[in-house]
Amino acid sequence: MNKPVRVVHYINQFFAGIGGEAAANAPVTVRHEVVGAARALQAALGGEAEIVGTLICGDNFFHDERERARHAVREALRSLRPDVMVAGPAFEAGRYGIACAEVCRVAAAEGVPAVTAMHPSNPGVMMHGREVMIVPTTASAAGMPQAVPPLARLALKLARREALGTADSEGYLSRGIRRVGYRPEPGYRRAIDMLLTKLNGRPYVSEIPYQAPAMVEPARPVAELRRTSVALVTTGGLVPKGNPDGQTSGNAQRYFRYSIEQLQSLRPGEWEAYHVGYFTHLVNKNPNYVLPLGYMRELEKAGVIGSVHPYAYTLPGVSTPVAQAERLGLGIASQLLEAKVGAGLLVST
Amino acid sequence: MISAIYDLALTTGANRVVRGCRIEHVCGNPDLGPDKDREYGMRIITTALQALTTEVSGPTLFDPQGASTETIHAS
Amino acid sequence: MRLELGTFPVRDARFGSATRWDDGILTIDRDVVLRAVHDDPLVATASLEIARPGESVRIWPVRDVVEPRVKVNGSGVVYPGWFGRSIETVGRGRTHRLAGVGVVEVSSVNWHDAGGDFVDEYIDMVGPWAEITPQSALINVCLVVEPDPALAVQTKNEVVHRATLAVSDTLAAAVRGLRPPELETFELTTAPATLPGVVYIQCVHSPQAMSHSEHTFCTGTYGLTRLTPPWLLHPNEILDGALSGPYRTLFATSWTVVNNPILLDLYRRHGRDLRFLGVIVFRTEWTTQIEKDLMAEQAAKLAQMLGAQGAMVTWDAGGNEYIEVVHTVRACERLGIKTVFLTSEDSPEGGAPSLLKPVPEADAIVTTGFFNTRYLELGLMPPVERVIGYGQKAAGRAVDATVVGAPQVDTAGAIPPPWRHDDHYGFTRLSSFAY
Repeated sequence: MNKPVRVVHYINQFFAGIGGEAAANAPVTVRHEVVGAARALQAALGGEAEIVGTLICGDNFFHDERERARHAVREALRSLRPDVMVAGPAFEAGRYGIACAEVCRVAAAEGVPAVTAMHPSNPGVMMHGREVMIVPTTASAAGMPQAVPPLARLALKLARREALGTADSEGYLSRGIRRVGYRPEPGYRRAIDMLLTKLNGRPYVSEIPYQAPAMVEPARPVAELRRTSVALVTTGGLVPKGNPDGQTSGNAQRYFRYSIEQLQSLRPGEWEAYHVGYFTHLVNKNPNYVLPLGYMRELEKAGVIGSVHPYAYTLPGVSTPVAQAERLGLGIASQLLEAKVGAGLLVST
Repeated sequence: MISAIYDLALTTGANRVVRGCRIEHVCGNPDLGPDKDREYGMRIITTALQALTTEVSGPTLFDPQGASTETIHAS
Repeated sequence: MRLELGTFPVRDARFGSATRWDDGILTIDRDVVLRAVHDDPLVATASLEIARPGESVRIWPVRDVVEPRVKVNGSGVVYPGWFGRSIETVGRGRTHRLAGVGVVEVSSVNWHDAGGDFVDEYIDMVGPWAEITPQSALINVCLVVEPDPALAVQTKNEVVHRATLAVSDTLAAAVRGLRPPELETFELTTAPATLPGVVYIQCVHSPQAMSHSEHTFCTGTYGLTRLTPPWLLHPNEILDGALSGPYRTLFATSWTVVNNPILLDLYRRHGRDLRFLGVIVFRTEWTTQIEKDLMAEQAAKLAQMLGAQGAMVTWDAGGNEYIEVVHTVRACERLGIKTVFLTSEDSPEGGAPSLLKPVPEADAIVTTGFFNTRYLELGLMPPVERVIGYGQKAAGRAVDATVVGAPQVDTAGAIPPPWRHDDHYGFTRLSSFAY
């Protein structure tokens, strides 16, 4: 039998039994014993682990006095020196869920592995689901008996620094990490079996669950176009002829910035598109198809826009991981903001 | 954003999306001949500028008006 | 349509004084085979070599792997339609095949001159790359062939593939008149209407968009690679090679397509678990939204007209082609046709969705892992004793060598795996998991 691991359990005022909403302002209290809902966790841990401290905090206190609360948790962890921190389960309680997730982050920063539990729609998941280990629960606290055992099991694994298996096999919510691995059956069999299962009305689990892409708050419209400088950006991989800066044909690692200040239009023979994702010869014959400078100069002369930004930005938008593309986009945007550019046109191939 | 395959842009976070012609020639169409190609290109750009000055609440497609300029590849 | 497929398993192959199959041993008369290749005056050089599983051999560059098959009776020829081969509808009568053999098309000829597509695959007969690619388990009869260098690239491609088919035809002819040790009958017999009707939607890359030509080489339907509205094929046609041709990844070569486990398993379960209704071959890489959506709607309508309750969807490419593929999945679901989509994944870095366009209707996905070998954590492939083909290649992706001035590397050395491992038809157990 392993030596019992040391566990600290973070719970809110309600699950500590000190009150409901009225006690939500309770500051962080450290009790060197098992309190309230921590008893259920201790029971599930059995003799393998000992809850050496229960941290109790009112949900409002954690929200309103975040720094004080985090500091108190940090101090408690330093003095209690647990092998793992467990927070919640928070079920669908939003403030509690966010607090649990944040407490787990504090623990991780202190080098203490941590795990929490809440309903998948709890805002704590959306805010911190990438960094924090979260066990899914029912929405209602009536699901406590089902929530605690997987939470305890994961806590023990983390405490013992054991390697973690997949989200499905271990029972935690995916943190957006995907890794290669082998399944027991080849793909074609899994596919046809899944189809028959689906056709026969039986439950099935997609190997890639639907993940909605992040939406973006729209920027305010341009107030006065004729006073605005507009930048041209393209992911068509347009570079000066000869590709002097060695832009790759895909998997963009950086973006490129070229001065177009002296140019009225992009002339074929002076530019080329270097990009493995589309037939580039038409753009080579007429670079304005992806960087429409000629049209923009006309509009600038006619006073429709204030000016064309002196720099054009380009990169090869193909075979580029989304995270990388985001970084590059942010980079371009911050340069444009610094240059007080008012708007951008991005031509995508 | 000006794109010929605008659906992807609209569903992955771009809020002002202008329909381009074809991936291989987004801001124009060489099959139209130089003059009409230029007219079409200008129409796309002015539509884009119009989009910049338009209030939007979420992903919105701006379609350059005028005669259809897409050719369909099919045998 | 009824097809008898006779299988002649090959345990080993060797060169000898006549081309014959005898109890699992394929003897090849190299001179006769090469003479068949040189029948075409546009072939400049040709050589034939054998690579066996387990040997320390690397074959580079690989454009296609073809399973030798031959029509014994029934209309048409196998691998129909290519450069003057009969276009008669195939899939009837009897066809014989040499199982366990691949004719490997090795040539420096690239697909086209427009940039963007480069021949960049290799086969290892041993080692980590061999373990995850099916063709390493074949006796590979490698044709290293070069056409007259003065030819236009399209013609060069024709010469090279015609030569490969000449080798395949010659080898398969050896078993044309023999009695096959194994015989399987493929027929879509009448099945109980209570079984769900399933259509297979096989999405196939067309190189037309990348090359701006309707005639560029790639997987062809009766030799046509151009963008066309969806085709309806009987699965027997595919068993006779109606969908075939050199391809950019090992997982959609001619060999892979006639041995497609999805096709075979749907077929073998016909009458038992499902009614296999047919194959919709959907050509991809349309370059406007309207064309992509039109094809998707038409494919789903075609499935519905066939009486499909379910559809199995696969594809063999990457990038923007995903749009029309996933829109086909969505269009089927909206018509009430339940789909399963088999696909590989894009980069999972930073927790971004690993599919280009997540679609809620695509709720039954089987994943074959990440297509970029960077994420397979394979490291470098070990050096080999012998290379069939050429001794040098660009480090990294072929196209970038021209830009970043990347050096050439010895193909016999420790080199990275080809950048793409894309198990289009679910041959392997490779997949991915959420953490």
